[in-house]
Amino acid sequence: MNKYAVEFKGTKEGVTIYCLEDADFAEILSDLAAKLQQRSSFFGDATVSIDVGNRELTDEEREALMETITKNSRLRLKDIFSSQERGPAVTSAKRQGEMEDLALDGFTEGRALVIKRTLRSGQYIRFPGHVIVLGDVNPGAEIAADGDIYVFGTLRGIAHAGMNGDRTASVVALRLAPTQLRIADIISRAPDHADLPDQPEYAYVQDLRIMIAAITAK
Amino acid sequence: MGEVIVITSGKGGVGKTTTTANLGVGLVLAKKKVVLIDADIGLRNLDVVMGLENRIVYDLVDVVEGHCRVKQALIRDKRFENLFLLPAAQTRDKNAVSPEQMKKLSLELKEEYDFILVDCPAGIEQGFRNAIAGADRALIVTTPEVSAVRDADRIIGLLEAAEIKTFHLIINRLRPEMVKRGDMLDIDDILEILAIDLIGVIPDDEKIIISTNRGEQVAANANDSPAGKAYTNIVRRLLGETVPIMDFYQNQSFFSRLKKFIGLGG
Repeated sequence: MNKYAVEFKGTKEGVTIYCLEDADFAEILSDLAAKLQQRSSFFGDATVSIDVGNRELTDEEREALMETITKNSRLRLKDIFSSQERGPAVTSAKRQGEMEDLALDGFTEGRALVIKRTLRSGQYIRFPGHVIVLGDVNPGAEIAADGDIYVFGTLRGIAHAGMNGDRTASVVALRLAPTQLRIADIISRAPDHADLPDQPEYAYVQDLRIMIAAITAK
Repeated sequence: MGEVIVITSGKGGVGKTTTTANLGVGLVLAKKKVVLIDADIGLRNLDVVMGLENRIVYDLVDVVEGHCRVKQALIRDKRFENLFLLPAAQTRDKNAVSPEQMKKLSLELKEEYDFILVDCPAGIEQGFRNAIAGADRALIVTTPEVSAVRDADRIIGLLEAAEIKTFHLIINRLRPEMVKRGDMLDIDDILEILAIDLIGVIPDDEKIIISTNRGEQVAANANDSPAGKAYTNIVRRLLGETVPIMDFYQNQSFFSRLKKFIGLGG
């Protein structure tokens, strides 16, 4: 069984619960129940929405979700939705066939977290999607993303892309000087004496090693 | 209505207590009424640095627990009649005080005094949370060492999370000759990582150790030492004056480079 199948995220509107793509429904229910029991006092009676990803739920499954929430917490359920229904405009355009003649090679879509500030030592971000930072990531800060990590600033902390095992994930930074880089299960650390690069670079996996290349405008 | 300023650093031994004492003296010399609070319960030092150790009757914990009135616990400085110390308790620990109690105390002191300087303990636990609870502004002290800068960065993150909006950096114990040789982090190296406004740079100065051991502050005689002058400059900047950062390198090109980082705030 997976270590976790759901993730909680607090927003101004309340709590959103994300069901991870590769988890099966029984896992989701049991993990949800366990996490709610742990944290119900923390969440109190906040409103909650559940994002079931690209699943299509049956009525029974919807009811089971609702029951798990009411049994294990005082959270008020607002909505169960599929992020595909609320996906970005590009999705609907694609569905309507407006983009048919556009080669979709090199396109990825998915959830992204945008952080418009500098992450400082001790701050840890875990997100089941891409992470975009408009600021620096200082030594001692850590980002763990299932998708790619983009830093519009200097990356000096730890970045772990493709955390769910995706070796095609990459890490991009205007100044790539991390203490450690991890992509999926592959780890590399900074050389002991390295100068700050003077141009944007990206890191990717090739032959089970993390490679770094400059980004050049052509 | 006064202002509460917490002096903090994360790492121990970078000069929080000395900075608190010197800024206190500097503010009093600028005709302000000042209270210094030692928030380092269990490891108090500020009383020793101020030379007031033998006058302590009541302390911070007595005040918040209601054993005495604030006025009874405040110790007037030996030289400056508008400078007061609220000492920490030595026989208790940080959990003897709560952030709510500190907030209440800060509000009470703000009614009567212009500045309340809180000497924060090292670390990021209960003692830190108490010290920042009532603060309007924070001064983060670091030395030009990688470990101290790392801890300062952590502290800035925690201050942001605690919604303290105004904070400035003090770089303490800079040794210009070591920087020149490339053996010490330079001011701009530190600012590049921390990316916050600099309010002052204190050069390493043996006079600090001599005066601290005597229970005196270099800021009392600003013209006798570079550190005393640097503290006085910070006081002037706290009061809104624009004072350029001292030129430790006697070198015009460096100075202009520095100005770029300090910006107009100086």
